[in-house]
Amino acid sequence: MHPSEKPAAAGGNFGPDWWRQISPYLEHALTLSGDERTTWLGSLREHDLGMANRIQELLDEYDSLNESCFLEDFPSPLSGSGGVAGQTVGAYKLISLLGEGGMGSVWLAERNDGRFERQAAVKFLNMALAGRGSEQRFRREGSILGRLADPKIAALLDAGVSENGRPYLVLEYVEGEHIDRYCDLGKLAVEARLRLFLDVLTAVAHAHANLIVHRDIKPSNVLVRIDGQVKLLDFGIAKLLEKNGEGGGETPLTREAGAALTPHYAAPEQLNDGPITTATDVYALGVLLFCLLTGQHPAGSNVHSTASLFKSIVEIEPPRMSEVVTSKKDDAGAAALRSTTADKLRPTLRGDLDTIVAKTLKKRPEERYASVTAFADDISRYLQHKTISARPDTLAYRAVKFTRRNRWQVGFATLAFAASMAGLVGTTTQTRAARKQRDFAIRQLSRAEAINDLNSFVLSDAAPSGKLFKVNDLLGRAEHIIQRQRGDNDANRVDLLISIGRQYWSQDEDASAVRILEEAHRLAQNVPDPSVRARSACALASVLARGREVERAETLIRDGLREVSGNRQLVLDHMFCLQCGSEVARERGTTQQAIARAREARELLANSPFQSDLEDFHVLMQLAESYRVADQFVDADATFQQAAIRLTTLGRDDTQTAGTLFNNWGLAVQFLGRPRDAEELFRRAIAISSSDGAEQSVSPMLLVNEARVLRTLAQFGEATKYAERGYAKGQTAGDQVVVNQALFVQASVFRGLHDFARARQVLSELEPRLRAVLAPEHVAFASLASEKSLLAQAEGNLQTSFDLANEAIAISEASIKANDSGPDYLQILSMRRSSVEFDMHKFAEAELDAQRALTIGRGIVQPGAFSCNLGWEYLALGRALQAQSQYGDARAALEAAVEHLEHTLGQDHPDAQRARKLLAANNSPQ
Amino acid sequence: MGATISSLIGAADEGDNSAAEALFVELYSELHRIAKRELGRQGVPVSLSATTLLHEAYLDMTSREGSSFPDRARFISYAARAMRGLIIDHARSRRAQKRGGQFELTSFNNESVEDPADDRDLTRISEALDELAKVETSLVEIVDLKFFCGFSFGEIAAMRNVSERTVQRGWDKARVFLHRSLRSNASI
Repeated sequence: MHPSEKPAAAGGNFGPDWWRQISPYLEHALTLSGDERTTWLGSLREHDLGMANRIQELLDEYDSLNESCFLEDFPSPLSGSGGVAGQTVGAYKLISLLGEGGMGSVWLAERNDGRFERQAAVKFLNMALAGRGSEQRFRREGSILGRLADPKIAALLDAGVSENGRPYLVLEYVEGEHIDRYCDLGKLAVEARLRLFLDVLTAVAHAHANLIVHRDIKPSNVLVRIDGQVKLLDFGIAKLLEKNGEGGGETPLTREAGAALTPHYAAPEQLNDGPITTATDVYALGVLLFCLLTGQHPAGSNVHSTASLFKSIVEIEPPRMSEVVTSKKDDAGAAALRSTTADKLRPTLRGDLDTIVAKTLKKRPEERYASVTAFADDISRYLQHKTISARPDTLAYRAVKFTRRNRWQVGFATLAFAASMAGLVGTTTQTRAARKQRDFAIRQLSRAEAINDLNSFVLSDAAPSGKLFKVNDLLGRAEHIIQRQRGDNDANRVDLLISIGRQYWSQDEDASAVRILEEAHRLAQNVPDPSVRARSACALASVLARGREVERAETLIRDGLREVSGNRQLVLDHMFCLQCGSEVARERGTTQQAIARAREARELLANSPFQSDLEDFHVLMQLAESYRVADQFVDADATFQQAAIRLTTLGRDDTQTAGTLFNNWGLAVQFLGRPRDAEELFRRAIAISSSDGAEQSVSPMLLVNEARVLRTLAQFGEATKYAERGYAKGQTAGDQVVVNQALFVQASVFRGLHDFARARQVLSELEPRLRAVLAPEHVAFASLASEKSLLAQAEGNLQTSFDLANEAIAISEASIKANDSGPDYLQILSMRRSSVEFDMHKFAEAELDAQRALTIGRGIVQPGAFSCNLGWEYLALGRALQAQSQYGDARAALEAAVEHLEHTLGQDHPDAQRARKLLAANNSPQ
Repeated sequence: MGATISSLIGAADEGDNSAAEALFVELYSELHRIAKRELGRQGVPVSLSATTLLHEAYLDMTSREGSSFPDRARFISYAARAMRGLIIDHARSRRAQKRGGQFELTSFNNESVEDPADDRDLTRISEALDELAKVETSLVEIVDLKFFCGFSFGEIAAMRNVSERTVQRGWDKARVFLHRSLRSNASI
């Protein structure tokens, strides 16, 4: 469409034609944020001045709409025809209507049981409860909230359901000002505002201690009475409204609550359907403090619409408070309300206050203050001029330049930690046990000492200083030293052997690892200490499982667990065994057991008196990996993320462990259909093991993973480079899996480049390789058939392509049935078959397959998350619908396709472009 | 009577215009009947939100027609248009009779300065929506669901199988259109 061809029609005359021309431009403008929009309008102005001016005019009009709340305040309730003053609800008599709001109407009422008078507010909720069950639940939840006694929280006096089934709440009646107005009216200075805000935090902390989250903190819910007493309203009510019915699924309660949420103070997780925790309140409190201190919202003046507010909350890093206070007229006013000037306010906010507020406004809940109390502590410290606990982002997030740190630290720190824990246990026990405890503690210490000795010998004495050395050389050396030691302490020798064995293992020197760990295990049989026996058994089990001796490994794990379970002193050894057990379970294919063991380890740690980020990290890695192997990618993604945060806390963003984390996390993210995110993770993993730009020590599998994801992103040149490197390294190392995967990627790249002959050649190299090692029902043959199908489709052999697509699906279905694989393949294969069917003009079948793929796809990702798989599926569905002239539905599908694909593959990806084109074509045919 | 709604929705899905007309009339009288029933109860201050009313209507009809009744999302997409009619008619009757009729429409927010519930405004909004329907039907549906029925963006997104942002963008556009439309009609 070229609007410039019809300037007259698009000019001033409002009407359908006018709108038809304006609409796509306006739509695009609304997706952009302030700066992007200015840039875009600038370029539009250059080639179509008239259109740019009209869009500018509409956007100005649109901004004014937001200010006047045009159409915002009218979700149209139908109301009964009567004043009802004088009527009673429970023990309360209604006096007058106080107001009506998002949730319903509020009445002033008084208690009329004759003995004492008390005013209250009765809030009728705009909802119908479905059945008796939900009525009881409403009363029950209400009574829980009723127990929340705190002078700073407006009490919930009663909750019930009126005679005609309308739920109501009886609340303490509070007369006061919204906190922001109160502060402005009294021209409170920053410090006074902070003290008042501390009262708010105390109240919220009290509620959190009772496991009640507010969920809807905003100025109108934080009142200050004339005597200066803070009163929080509506605690927990949002939750009460959101509670789902017993049967699950959507109830009227959920729906009403969805409409009642206040987006200005909503945390990202509330917009993303993430879990709501106390951290959600921390965020809202942070926004509130930002507003109280600066007079502005963190999203600033950049917010042009609800959509851009959402975008700002979810994606955009908020500015520092000190940055938003300028010398402009408005800010001078804001400063005056704080009894100061903008020039003085700015330095007050800069530094600690900026840091404190920034920590509350983190997008990720786990990066915010761990509790409201911690938040309050920092404000108290600030007021007392003490050092705050929060660290400025520049330190915590600073990209540490890569230096290859040795991996010894990881293993040794674990044992050093065991020693400190033993000391603590020792001090808390009494009399008879004390001697035993002390001996235990000393044992642990001597273990740690021995390891530390070796550590410092190997790293400082044995390594020629300043020169690069190979870890394996050092290990050989350490092993030699230990073998020659002829001490009387076998337990120490076992520990040292385990340590060295595990280091060999992490160097992929499996044979050496097995040799050393077998010896440790043999030696341990004569050691009386059960923890030593358990550790040696489990360490050996891990290595054996990877060498496919899974059944013996499992037996060893059970032996180890038997030695340590029930003994609280040995909690760390117990955790170690559970972690090894989780690995073994993964190798055995009992993935749920793997998850259960990792979870048990995490619980043990949580219930032990010690909090160690390092231990927590190890356990999280096991858990995440178990989720990944069990195809629970959403859980895996979330858990890897937690693990990555621990790693950053530990300052180990650039270790080999981090490399493993990023690689495996990337795989999970890729399955969730977010190749761009996956690519970033793989790239980080590669950077960690590269030195000076060379990728010699990068794992070949990682190179192939990077190649695959680049292929998905249509970066064919880069994909080829990585696939070739992965292929070569895989050949050298004799790793057949890597070689085969590399061939898969290469075939796909050649197809993408329309070099069908070479694609075919690669596939014919690949197929016999697979047939030689895998059973014909292995899901790899579904991938192979599918790749062949795609090739045939690209060459125009539709019937062949269709047959191969069917073959792929049959293999995948059988594999799911046999519990060998999850539904992820089936999703993609169905979507691909849909595409073949479309080319064959079987539109109904294409629609059906696309729907089927979508159904599977939606079950894999989190609701609301973007996924390129969903994008392709919507695209396939939209095309099929369009071909059947169902333009309305097709539009919805294509819109979804564009959104998913743009978010996951980027705007310029050919598939995103294709989706946009189809959508544009869909808009014109009627 | 009840069984016709299922079949009318079926026919309307196929693009039968007269069925769509009949369906509108049926849904309108059904919503009207339930609103009357709910608001007619004595003794409590009642205000019934459109979402609740739609939900009640859906439950009523499914229990009458059984499993053959279409899913909630499809039902609501048809009923939302009828809801608009119902709301405008009641705003109109309230103005005509001041306090007449069984129930009336109130402004949702007492604090708002202008009362948007003026039935003349609503009628103009409705007319503008009919205009808009000629160009971008999907925007009209969003306005019916959001403004007249009170659904949240999230719910609308789920019903229509699109992302929440798509719905928001549609809503933002529709508001600009409606505002411009009301303004340009007013100036004529």
